[in-house]
Amino acid sequence: MPRSSNDYSVIGKRQPKLDGPLKTTGRSQFTDDIDLPGMLHGKIVRSPVARGKIISIDTTKAEGLTGVKAIVTHEDCPGLMVSPDRKILCSDRVNFIGDEVAAVAAVDEDTAAEAAELIRVEYEPLEAVFSIEETSAKGAPVIHEGYEKNIMDDYNIDFGNVEKAFAEADHVRVGECTFNPNHNCFAEHHVVIADYSLPGKLSIWTPNQSPLYIQKSMGSILGISESNVRVFNLNTGGAFSGRIGPRQHNFIAAILSKKASRPVKIRCAADEEFVVYPGGGYFKYIIKTGVMNDGTLKAMEATYLFDCGAYWNSSFNVLLRYKYHLIPQNYHMEAMRWKEKTVYTNNPPNMYPHGAAFLQLKLAQETELDIIAEEIGMDPLELKFKNAVAKGDTTLTNVHYTSCGLKESIKKVAKKSSWKKKFKKLPPFRGIGIGCGAMNSGGPDKSGALIKIGEDGKISLFIGLPDMGQGSHTAMAMIAAETLGIAVEDVEVVAGDTNAAPFDIGAFGQRGTFFTGNAVKLACLDARKQLAETAAKKLGVKTSLLVFRDGKVFYGEEPEKAVLFKDVVSQTLHSEDGKHIMGKGFYHTPTTSREPWVSTLAYSFGAQVAEVEVDPDTGIVTLLKVTHAHDVGRAINPLAIEGQIDGQVFSGMGQILSEECVMEKGKILNPTMLNYRHARSFEVPEMEYIIVETNDPYGPYGAKEVGEGPIVCTMAISNAVNNAIGNPVREFPITPERILQAIKAKGKK
Amino acid sequence: MKSIITLNVNGEVHEIAVNPWRTLVDVLREDLKLTGTKRACEQGACGVCTVIMDGKAILSCLALAVDCAGHSITTIESLGSSDGLHPLQQSFIDNGAVQCGFCTPGVIMTAKALLDENPNPDDTAIKEALAGTYCRCTGHIKTVEAVKKAVQAGREVK
Repeated sequence: MPRSSNDYSVIGKRQPKLDGPLKTTGRSQFTDDIDLPGMLHGKIVRSPVARGKIISIDTTKAEGLTGVKAIVTHEDCPGLMVSPDRKILCSDRVNFIGDEVAAVAAVDEDTAAEAAELIRVEYEPLEAVFSIEETSAKGAPVIHEGYEKNIMDDYNIDFGNVEKAFAEADHVRVGECTFNPNHNCFAEHHVVIADYSLPGKLSIWTPNQSPLYIQKSMGSILGISESNVRVFNLNTGGAFSGRIGPRQHNFIAAILSKKASRPVKIRCAADEEFVVYPGGGYFKYIIKTGVMNDGTLKAMEATYLFDCGAYWNSSFNVLLRYKYHLIPQNYHMEAMRWKEKTVYTNNPPNMYPHGAAFLQLKLAQETELDIIAEEIGMDPLELKFKNAVAKGDTTLTNVHYTSCGLKESIKKVAKKSSWKKKFKKLPPFRGIGIGCGAMNSGGPDKSGALIKIGEDGKISLFIGLPDMGQGSHTAMAMIAAETLGIAVEDVEVVAGDTNAAPFDIGAFGQRGTFFTGNAVKLACLDARKQLAETAAKKLGVKTSLLVFRDGKVFYGEEPEKAVLFKDVVSQTLHSEDGKHIMGKGFYHTPTTSREPWVSTLAYSFGAQVAEVEVDPDTGIVTLLKVTHAHDVGRAINPLAIEGQIDGQVFSGMGQILSEECVMEKGKILNPTMLNYRHARSFEVPEMEYIIVETNDPYGPYGAKEVGEGPIVCTMAISNAVNNAIGNPVREFPITPERILQAIKAKGKK
Repeated sequence: MKSIITLNVNGEVHEIAVNPWRTLVDVLREDLKLTGTKRACEQGACGVCTVIMDGKAILSCLALAVDCAGHSITTIESLGSSDGLHPLQQSFIDNGAVQCGFCTPGVIMTAKALLDENPNPDDTAIKEALAGTYCRCTGHIKTVEAVKKAVQAGREVK
């Protein structure tokens, strides 16, 4: 077997995306490009109050408007709950500004909008709460019955002897970081088409990361068999952790379609986009760290307070508690403690920010590590290197690393960025910072893949994994091409329709390359085995001695003893037995004794150095350069890996420096792309990439994730700012205003 | 209420009846079925719907269709054919500047308007021209790179 990237013919090459021609010519189809015969347009009526009682809903006027075909309220979906705390449409209570109360479907968008205005809803406003403090205060209103003190989840867990480890530490400190809500700014707004116009059959078109999840959830909630929910997953205009499960508007479109017996499209317009999808909510981390004087990390404790908003997003559930695994993920420590409390408020319900909010925990931790390093007189890079995990290690939470390039990443990023020459040696208001991260390649799950081979030797590869731009389809085609020894252009990926797709829970949790990649490899090996029989007969050699490469099948010892791949396919098809080559592959996590949440086999690691300049008069940060090293196991497609790193540095930069939904009493004050501050093309840094290969024993060709691994290293940016101004900013994003306050506060010390 | 207008799009003249409040992006997509021009914020903030009118990049979500009558409009559909892609399109593909692809037509049209006017822009000019587009996937890093490479390739041809 090949051992380095050079031994591969397809893998490791800079492969432009196979759907590039479609996308650059505007021919790629997105949901809003679909116009079904008889399709209506829907509009949702949303609550203008943050908490209130619904007194009455009057649809008479709207019904009278020409062009209106259906109006739905809670009476059209009685008892249907999308999560334990949330109905499809509110019946008696509304809990946030934007809560869905009614909806209308009409012949065009204008008529639907006009009809929505004509639906009269009378509310009795009730006392509302908008912060962790308010919702936890004595006498605060209870938002959901059964959730006393509005506590949605309360979870504490220890590993190791926490008290002892802190007591033994030479140096202990506590610090906190708070994070304001942000938004993922998907280029493609939320949109869905639902066709529920025939009994018991529902078709859904919507940008998403998991057609299977939508199929399962919508089927079970609407009471139809999941196979009768057909999800068309076309192109998805940005996902960033935010498009995993079905959303409220998916269900509303379905019930409108059922009532009107016609397909219905709902597209979120302008500021509605922000209401439908606030990214991360408000949260706070209090981090306690204990170290020895030589920098050895003894223990860490994270207290996590999270405002989940008015409802609990069910897809969040798994990852909330998963997070404690992040604490000892990068570094050795003797003990750790996780204290989590999640509360309801009347803010919009929160979803994931890009990076699933893993960045924020890691950021809070790494901020503290930098400070504690300063306090014991140590270079933070050295402290991180000293405590870094390595191959063969098992963390405190029982996660085992079969491959690990963290130390190599730190070393390489330090060298490339000339860390030693710059740290503490830069001019005033110039700073350098390091951030380290780790990321799971999926969870405990499974993926399937199917291939069929045409007579001309071209492959159709059937997968259920979406490509939201990360290049997963191109990567899967590369794995297939490598395994069968053909050109990547000879592989056509068939995906986007649950009727044709094998089992796959989707593209999230950084699972695509690892899980679907393994399934694709297995499917191709299955096909190869069938082809090898024909080729072996023809060449008169054993099947085990055959090599598939460069469009040929040959005897390894004598490469000139060869047959063309396509001829083998054709000969197999027309042989006496007659065999159409189809391969199937299924990969699932082997059963382990480890905890269910962590039984993925591969973890990736990264280290990042950022260099900044801060203007002391304005507080404006210029991000000069980012050097990122990522252990991807094996680089399937370096061009796509760089693209993943770029996008995550951009998102991390936004979450850290500028992106914030400014809230006032449950209302987003800046719900437009003009007022919501993201970086522009002239503000992004110079990038330097270092790909570290550790050849994971379980990964397909040794590959691991690069999905959201790089974003959890972008605290390099805030660490660099802290280094530049000498006083860590604690409230994120660290806007110019907050930076100026920190500079001013430092001056007073 | 509707007025009959003639729209010149990609060299073809269309006679269309439109309401006065309808935007160019809606008419392009709905009446002319030119869905290559995407629609997103409809507030002139994201650049996704950029087309070229009389040689200038404009936001088709902020242009009323009736105001575009008599002007020459170019959309992404005019770039590339069965014979091959436009150099900008090829450069975007080769340099990894395409990810989800939703903003791509708008970014390419913005770049085309720049290069039509100034075939030799420096880095600053490219970055400034693309400042009105929004691309979270690439973080603008490889889109800027792709335009730079297209400019270099153009120079080499000459």
